[in-house]
Amino acid sequence: MPSDNRTSNTEASTRSKSIIVVEHLSKWFDDFQALTDVNTTVREQEVVVVFGPSGSGKSTFIRTLNRLEEHDEGRIVIDGIELTDDLDNLEAIRSDVGMVFQQFNLFPHLTVQRNITLGPQKVRHLPEAEANELAMQLLERVGIPEQADKFPAQLSGGQQQRVAIARALAMQPKIMLFDEPTSALDPEMIKEVLDVMRELAESGMTMIVVTHEMGFAREVADRFLFFDGGQIVEEGTSEHFFTNPKEERTKLFLSQIL
Amino acid sequence: MVAVGTAGRRGGASKWVHANLFSSRWNSSLTIATLLLGLAIAYSLGDFVFVSAEWESVEVNRRLLFLAIYPSGEEWRLWPPVMMFAVVAGLGYGLWSRAGIREYVIGGGAVAFVFFFLVEDNTAVLTAVMIAIAIATYLAGVRARDSRVDTLARRAVIGGGVAIVPLALLMLNLGDGVRTTAWGGVMLNLMLATIGIGIGFPLGVLLALGRSSSLKVISFACTGYIEFVRAGPLILWLAMARFVLPDFLPSVGGLDDVSLVVRAMMVMAGFSAAYIAEVVRGGLQTIPRGQHEAADAIGLSAFQSTWFIVLPQALRSVIPALVNRFVSLWKDTSLVVVLGFVDLLGAARAIPAQPDFVGRQAEALLFAALIFWSVSFTMSRLSARIERQLGVGVR
Repeated sequence: MPSDNRTSNTEASTRSKSIIVVEHLSKWFDDFQALTDVNTTVREQEVVVVFGPSGSGKSTFIRTLNRLEEHDEGRIVIDGIELTDDLDNLEAIRSDVGMVFQQFNLFPHLTVQRNITLGPQKVRHLPEAEANELAMQLLERVGIPEQADKFPAQLSGGQQQRVAIARALAMQPKIMLFDEPTSALDPEMIKEVLDVMRELAESGMTMIVVTHEMGFAREVADRFLFFDGGQIVEEGTSEHFFTNPKEERTKLFLSQIL
Repeated sequence: MVAVGTAGRRGGASKWVHANLFSSRWNSSLTIATLLLGLAIAYSLGDFVFVSAEWESVEVNRRLLFLAIYPSGEEWRLWPPVMMFAVVAGLGYGLWSRAGIREYVIGGGAVAFVFFFLVEDNTAVLTAVMIAIAIATYLAGVRARDSRVDTLARRAVIGGGVAIVPLALLMLNLGDGVRTTAWGGVMLNLMLATIGIGIGFPLGVLLALGRSSSLKVISFACTGYIEFVRAGPLILWLAMARFVLPDFLPSVGGLDDVSLVVRAMMVMAGFSAAYIAEVVRGGLQTIPRGQHEAADAIGLSAFQSTWFIVLPQALRSVIPALVNRFVSLWKDTSLVVVLGFVDLLGAARAIPAQPDFVGRQAEALLFAALIFWSVSFTMSRLSARIERQLGVGVR
């Protein structure tokens, strides 16, 4: 049972309150059960790494957190607001939760700057000048201010993913979700994206990251969730996972990827 | 195709000719046969156009071709919308085109060349003014581009473009007005096409979005409309507009009593909308799911996501097919002859019936063809320009 495997919590638990609460979450795609009774709590400023074999439900799990996938059973509460069909709630949650995709999903017909300013201007109603200034600050932060006027197709994969991070940050989210952010990148570009994410983690952003970059994960993660078969099989700190994993499935998977 | 390029680069004309036209015995005989056939056609066409044709039949009937039975003395009503068009075209092209004026000159030139023949003594000055306005506003547009008034000017162009048809309708109805049954000639084709595109296009986009909607009722209704309209030929719908439509329209606000030309416009718009909808739907399907998800994730509403993310990309990918629809709509306007209107084609076909020009079919038809071509050609050049300009940054 997933909940039995919880190790005593990290320092994050003592220093701040919970910002994501997931209770008895289940999700089906037609007959296939993608998530089964998932329970977890993420605290403010915590960095949680989610990993597991493909098809284990890890992507589906983080996609339910901003309702790109609707869950069928259970509760998800983000920053005190429950995710339901209520569109007002959804709007509030989506501006609180930023998301970075495996395939970047930048808007190809808009310049880099416009990709970043669109959300702030249209959703947060920021004046154009302020939005542009914000975009430049964020591009500075992810290290590519000189690319502002280019189109996404003119950038490398690593640069595109950094723009995608800047675009998500422009909404000033409280939580950032990363769905395999480096899986579509050539090896030499992975580091530049991880560097940006590391900086973000150090700045105190609450993050949930689906990744198999275990070196990076060990460095930044406060806690790991190991998914298999749509369930959290094991949960704990990096120390727990890398020295003394309990479950056989975890051991097997770790031996394959490390 | 590779051979074309390399030969051209390396060895000059003779080598190119040898490589592409006379590379084998078979190719040589084909080249010579094609050349002879081409010369023969060019000769007989040239002989007709420059020697045996009596262009007097067209020259005398310029007014008939342009305005048909439009009452004389009422031409002043047409000039304001024409001038407005010159402003919108000039300013718009100046603002939007970044890569020079080639298409403007080619397209505008093609139209001007043909319509030049339609100028009569008393309209020469106004025509000159119109051309001057088009040039001046183009230059103004170039200067306004990227300046402080850029956004304002672009909005003015769009507003002006939208206002042309209402302005034309207003002018035609001002005071005593001109009976709609007296509208005709090229003017009628232009008005029908403008309405057909101007209303049919946005309606088509809405239908496409509706058909793609996840709301079953909307999707079903839009699909039903599209399939229904596509089931019949345009000429049938036009006949319906004449004989059947009045019985179906509600008698609210005199809707059941609208003039035949307005009914023809409704049919043009409604018919082209169904086809445009399918073209646009094809474009909507090219948008990857990730685009919708990214738009959702930054909190855009469904409308914002459609307007800022989905439609711009979808429409761009179907520009060639869209323009194809517009070009064919422009020529379909001549089908209103079945309603008894004398459009450009109707006028051209009336000329051989005149006592002075009995049997002179060819000249009038050739000239009508030239006018249809000039507008079609301009549209195709414009779309080529738009495609190239929007090509920047596409995957």
